[in-house]
Amino acid sequence: MIEFTNVGLRYGNGPEILRDLTFGIEPGSFHFLTGPSGSGKTSLLRLLLLSLKPSSGRLTMFGRNVSALDQDSLLEMRRHIGIVFQEFRLLDHLTTFENVALPLRVLGQPESMYRDNVTELLEWVGLGNRMDAHPPLLSGGEKQRAAIARAVIGRPDILLADEPTGNVDPELSLRLVRLFAELNKLGTTIILATHELPLLDAFDFPRMALKDGLVTLDG
Amino acid sequence: MAEMVLEAAAADRTEQIPRRTAAIVPERSVAGRTLVLLIAIMTFLSGVTLGAVVLVQKSAIAWSTDVGREVTIQIRPVEGEVMDSNIRTAIALAEAVPGVSEAHALSLADSQKLLEPWLGAGLDLSQLDIPRLVVVELSDPKNVDLNLLSKDLTSVRGATLETHAAWRQQLNTMAGTLVLSGVLVLALIVLATVLAVVFATRGTMATNREIVDVLHFIGASNTFIAGEFQGRFLSLGFRGGLVGGLAAIAFFFLVAGAAGSLVPDQASAELGFLFGRFSLGLDGIAGIAAVVPVIAALTAITSRFTVRRFLSQTSGI
Repeated sequence: MIEFTNVGLRYGNGPEILRDLTFGIEPGSFHFLTGPSGSGKTSLLRLLLLSLKPSSGRLTMFGRNVSALDQDSLLEMRRHIGIVFQEFRLLDHLTTFENVALPLRVLGQPESMYRDNVTELLEWVGLGNRMDAHPPLLSGGEKQRAAIARAVIGRPDILLADEPTGNVDPELSLRLVRLFAELNKLGTTIILATHELPLLDAFDFPRMALKDGLVTLDG
Repeated sequence: MAEMVLEAAAADRTEQIPRRTAAIVPERSVAGRTLVLLIAIMTFLSGVTLGAVVLVQKSAIAWSTDVGREVTIQIRPVEGEVMDSNIRTAIALAEAVPGVSEAHALSLADSQKLLEPWLGAGLDLSQLDIPRLVVVELSDPKNVDLNLLSKDLTSVRGATLETHAAWRQQLNTMAGTLVLSGVLVLALIVLATVLAVVFATRGTMATNREIVDVLHFIGASNTFIAGEFQGRFLSLGFRGGLVGGLAAIAFFFLVAGAAGSLVPDQASAELGFLFGRFSLGLDGIAGIAAVVPVIAALTAITSRFTVRRFLSQTSGI
């Protein structure tokens, strides 16, 4: 599903943030992405989200070389990828329901078509009674669950998470990762970036460790 | 995947209530009131300029038509000639030309009135040898043969024909210049509006960067994002345009009312002659009303192009 072949990344003329990455990720797998701050985790996720292109090497996703794709094809491919951020990035002027429905709305679907799906998904993540609340009124855990729901409502094949537990307490962190694990069981490929050791130890998923721009696979 | 998620969803679903979906680009985040005010002012200026152009053009056409319906024969006093006889001959010659409806001489009293602004009132013209004027009314200004009349008048010593052609040409040139100036002002207002909307849009894009980023990473195309901003700016442009357009129409009604009630009767009549009593007419009002959708569309299109350009410069993909 995802193949890195000697992929390097640098911003402008700066130093290489990622160097000579060569690894593959199978469909339906769950990987932790670890590494110290500044090791390039977010840059790697941005490559996977197609908001950056490799400076060197070849990145293949869904069987296609992303460097060779035009903007429309990249956009189409991006719709198969969901993302969850540490800082949630919900739109404060929209309700929880509207935030979660946003990916379907941008596809031009009318509300009557997605209302039931969004409602049921919100109930599944435990936000059935918070649908009409705006993000500023949600707790950190509720915001992150809303962000996860938004990331999966479009049925992505890959779900990326960039420090999704960074703004919640340890107990809620475990519950959130369990939610990701549930999604993984349903077939979604998950790459979850975190540097929280207790989380890594609590789940038996393979780890990709980034250090000095290089990646090592463990497990 | 989501289908499986849905299967796993809780059975007790909340009752479905129709929702009013909020706009993706919040109205308050677009420098709303300032832009509405700016567009209202621009529309007002456009409307007033357009109205002024319509007034000038209408008045110029009216002047030209009025003046064109009349020519004047001037008869200078010539020694040995009897003025009254010459006047009668000139009237007879004029009335014999096809297309002339009537010719009559201005009395000494009429001539005195015409000269009053320069020579003052109470002057006895009977003591002076002044030229006399014969006013020739044309029933068919287009087909009247003024060359024939001019030629016939050579038989009357001291008589010359004044067709007002030079004056009419000057009038047309002046009116044309005013109309052209008005069009230029309109073009500048449009340009200023476009620039203001460009800056407002870029400011809005900068303050809504988070929304743009979120839309990008959930898979929204640049076309979709531009459409969302365009819709918001179309609404603002229409509101601003409506306010400005109505204000411009109200302005002309107020000026027309003020000119009729505040200016003394004689001055009012002269103003009426010059400006047609500031009456825009239905076509003038329709022209100003047409400015409203034009400004709204201009605002929307400008914002769309600006957003597309902004996105193409900042988009990661």
